[in-house]
Amino acid sequence: MLSTSEIVSTLEMLQNEHLDVRTVTLGINLLDCASADLNRFKDNIFARITGLAKNLVHVCNQVGDKYGIPVVNKRISVSPVAVLGAMFSSMEMVEIAKTLNEAAVSVNVDFIGGFTALVQKGIARGDRALIEAIPQALAETDRVCSSVNVASTRAGINMDAVLMMGKIIKEAASRTAAQDGLACAKLCVFANIPEDIPFMAGAYMGIGESDAVINVGVSGPGVVKKAIDRALASDSKPDLGQISEIIKRTAYKVTRVGELIGREVAQVLDIRFGVVDLSLAPTPNVGDSVGEIFQSLGLKSIGVPGSTAALAMLNDAIKKGGAFASSHVGGLSGAFIPVSEDLNIGEAARAGFLSIEKLEAMTSVCSVGLDMVAIPGDTSAETIAAIIADEMAIGVINKKTTATRLIPVPGKKAGDFAFFGGLLGQSVIMAVNNGGGENRFIRLGGLIPAPLQSMNN
Amino acid sequence: MKKIIISVFGPDRPGVLAAVSRILFEQDCNIENVTQTILQSEFSGSFIAEMPADLTSDALCCFLSEALTPMRLQANVKLMEINPPALGGQLAEPYVITTRGPDRKGLVANVTRIIAGYGVNVTNLQAAFKGGENPNDNIMIYEVDVPVDIDTQAFHRDLRDKAAELDLVISIQHRKIFEAINRV
Repeated sequence: MLSTSEIVSTLEMLQNEHLDVRTVTLGINLLDCASADLNRFKDNIFARITGLAKNLVHVCNQVGDKYGIPVVNKRISVSPVAVLGAMFSSMEMVEIAKTLNEAAVSVNVDFIGGFTALVQKGIARGDRALIEAIPQALAETDRVCSSVNVASTRAGINMDAVLMMGKIIKEAASRTAAQDGLACAKLCVFANIPEDIPFMAGAYMGIGESDAVINVGVSGPGVVKKAIDRALASDSKPDLGQISEIIKRTAYKVTRVGELIGREVAQVLDIRFGVVDLSLAPTPNVGDSVGEIFQSLGLKSIGVPGSTAALAMLNDAIKKGGAFASSHVGGLSGAFIPVSEDLNIGEAARAGFLSIEKLEAMTSVCSVGLDMVAIPGDTSAETIAAIIADEMAIGVINKKTTATRLIPVPGKKAGDFAFFGGLLGQSVIMAVNNGGGENRFIRLGGLIPAPLQSMNN
Repeated sequence: MKKIIISVFGPDRPGVLAAVSRILFEQDCNIENVTQTILQSEFSGSFIAEMPADLTSDALCCFLSEALTPMRLQANVKLMEINPPALGGQLAEPYVITTRGPDRKGLVANVTRIIAGYGVNVTNLQAAFKGGENPNDNIMIYEVDVPVDIDTQAFHRDLRDKAAELDLVISIQHRKIFEAINRV
């Protein structure tokens, strides 16, 4: 027999605290679809994706209904296109992106990831073709997501790729100028990219994965905030150690939901279950915000002094709770701080409490990086590359994933607003230090060698 | 040996279980299952026990009444028949139906009519109607076994329509979600 408190607390999480499964992502291995004939290649990947994913949305909805937990997004990740399409030109890569988009539309998923290149140590022919195709591919599709891994703790930082990505981001923004550079919202630059991220825009199907896998991304910043609020409003006067324990227990509950849903979807589809990514992923809705957690913890706003310490505690407690809840934790697993996707963080940027420099500092203790950061449209490619390089350095030295999703908004300057729509949200454009100035360091190029941290064999 | 089911109810007070179990022990009965609850100030308990062949249920009821009447409690004793399971061996999935909303007459009757209409069996019901604004003070929690071969979508739709008519917020969820979230 269930207790009333078990039932009521679960209902509260669902009905008033925005608990949901943020994404169920079907990873599909396309490596055996390779063909030197472009049309045959496109037919192969379309048939594979639509064949495996034809019931994905229906099954997710069915399982979500069964447990009363909405599966908000259903997504697909595929093998890195730069690898499986290495023989094709840049123009042909654009055609492949369009086929991926058609497949996503056909099975009704909102995003498909894997227009990806892994160039942390060098850029091969297929990688270059894919990277050069990114601006057009993202401008002419609406569901394709792209990621480029330019650094790793093992390989170091490929500064040639970093500079290239600065230019690609500028071009992608320019091609979608009328939508405030929307293409850049579908493009992540990574250090230490995991092979099993279910969240977009960084999801791709790792080379080391099997034929198909179901990965799940849970969310729940609203649940964590309410748990902290309840604890602080009680007579027990918890200290930070006790609050950390509360966050940990809450993360446990959230992760269990994700694992239950993910395993059942995988079972019904007869596909292997992969991982739960136990990230706190906000949406642009009140009560579903990571930024609000900082205020619950007593900070005036995310970004003020104390924010990095608060985020470190939050991120660590989430990992501990999630690790206990599931033996198969992967992806990014931590707290996201995407500026435009979180109303509260966006407001902190607008009010001047949060700068790019403070965001960068905070990314050293959480799971992502400079995520969904709108910057002035006249920021130079070199400066964008330099921001990427700084973020990659944090990841490489700390043996963790970091990423950037920067959007230089054409024709807009710091303080203006950019609108991306839907889950991507809106944001004030943040000022960039030395935005248009020259940067000879970046132009030096080459490979920043792997750090000592890489030598752990 | 015969099986009996005993129900006891009346004002709650210390010693109710002690009195019932003492009588059963003295009459050489062996308790197999007990459940008890307190609704507001009233005790309600059910006992399944084995009874010696030479004892009748009427006689046992007399012994119980003699001990319990001074405590203002009533007891009934009935011989148990061997019955098939409620769903006759049909495969079923355990769900939890929860409603929250303003109290009015007929809530339980209206909801259970739909549940029964689909051959769904209620295995546990907790309901409290205290009035006031707090939705958790006016709550019904039905744990039910839903046969796997019924039209689940129609069942859910009818429940949701009825809940809307009664101004109730309803949730229909598989039991596993509550266990997954709350139990290690």
